[in-house]
Amino acid sequence: MSWIAVGLKKDVPPGIVIPSRLADTELAVWCAPSGSYHAWSDRCPHRGMRLSHGFVRGNTLACIYHGWQYNEAGSCDYIPAHPKLTPPDTICVPTYSCTEAGGVIWVSLEATDQPLPELGGRVPVRSVPIALSAENVAAHFGAGSAPTVAVVSDHDTVLALQPCTDTLTMAHVLASPDADPKAVSRWVEDLRATLEGVPA
Amino acid sequence: MNTAIENHWYPVAMISGIDGPRETLLLGKKITLGRKDGTCWVKDATGKALPTVERFGHLWTSPGQPNRDLFTIPEADSPGRRLVDVGSVKVKCSPLRAVENFLDIAHFPFVHTDILGAEPHTEVDRYDVKIREEVDEVWATKVKFYQPQAAKSAAGGITTEYMYRVPAPTCSVLYKTCPPRPGEWDIITLFVQPLTDEWCEVWPWMALYDDESTMSEMVSFQQLIFMQDRSILENQIPRKLPLDPGMEVPTQADMTSVAYRRWLKKIGYTYGAQLVAA
Ligand code: FES
Ligand SMILES: [Fe+2]
Repeated sequence: MSWIAVGLKKDVPPGIVIPSRLADTELAVWCAPSGSYHAWSDRCPHRGMRLSHGFVRGNTLACIYHGWQYNEAGSCDYIPAHPKLTPPDTICVPTYSCTEAGGVIWVSLEATDQPLPELGGRVPVRSVPIALSAENVAAHFGAGSAPTVAVVSDHDTVLALQPCTDTLTMAHVLASPDADPKAVSRWVEDLRATLEGVPA
Repeated sequence: MNTAIENHWYPVAMISGIDGPRETLLLGKKITLGRKDGTCWVKDATGKALPTVERFGHLWTSPGQPNRDLFTIPEADSPGRRLVDVGSVKVKCSPLRAVENFLDIAHFPFVHTDILGAEPHTEVDRYDVKIREEVDEVWATKVKFYQPQAAKSAAGGITTEYMYRVPAPTCSVLYKTCPPRPGEWDIITLFVQPLTDEWCEVWPWMALYDDESTMSEMVSFQQLIFMQDRSILENQIPRKLPLDPGMEVPTQADMTSVAYRRWLKKIGYTYGAQLVAA
């Protein structure tokens, strides 16, 4: 299993948590004040609340329901209802490998020694939802069966593909720093319309 | 047919809100209800009349044969109380999740911030919980919590004392310190209509001592609280309530919820429950 893009750095600044997903795995993706990124299972072990509705407090992610705080390793280290209690180590959120590179937040659901995708110095432009499976989007560019990154000759772009559901892919678009972002943006809108089969 | 589920009374309408005949769902099945010559009626999908009770401003029915009368709240009859029909809120969650949330005080500072709770007053002291076998109800007593604005009638922060009672699987009654009348209890109930096992209609009802607030002020106060709860209830995974230990992690503050789940299991009430870890 390789690295898959789940969002752009500029959309998740320090102190922010967002929901994301990779196929059946729902994620809470957050950035600590230190700038380190985390991708966790989007479910609080206490009572099942989505952690993506929570808030970043200090270097912890706090659940919105009862305020339990989870440190950057995913272990619960504070339960507000019992301020004097040291929570047992067994209370922890499943975490996934997550890192930021080239302005993109990358996640691997399994331990991996694969290198991060090569972006050739391109920078993020925007993320665009496309109502097709990632395989179908990739097939359009003649790429392999389930690529996470497709290099496209138009505008010298890279599409980092995030499979969300069988009928939804998030395409994170990167282009050369010299490219005109408006032109790239228009191109990707046209691309989406073509792929989805609706007139632009 | 599962009698452990069907032989209970369920709220299906606010009596003052019934005009013409209306369809709704109960335990996933269509029913029709209405009022004729001042008396409410309920029919199932085949047209068969179902039993009815009119109590607490609401219409109650049962798809089975309830083996006991609908519970009562004797305290609510004392003079001077104002009875408040709050209306209803539909929530995409198990009816049991809705009740359990109502039994929970630890969420007040985070979900009802600056109203029912506020940091740093987050600690939940030990309280008493028991399943009262003789009446087959769950009770939590001596529950205390600091509240910035406990009720519409509260002038400032007070430590509120609560008692919770679960007299039926989808109903709960809360007795709570009454700001203008120390020594008396305000009564706030949560009557939950199971539309399906993952969708419910919540009918709060209140019997309060409050001579100051208007009816609409009391209603909007309670509706604000329930809207805040809904944002939680529709985002818990799974939507059903896990009855077996292991899937969620209770602490001492959750003793009421632990007793509620244990009681549901004991009486075989599995509608809206998740029995095996998913
Ligand atoms: S569900 Fe997250 S703290 Fe209770
Ligand atoms: Fe609440």
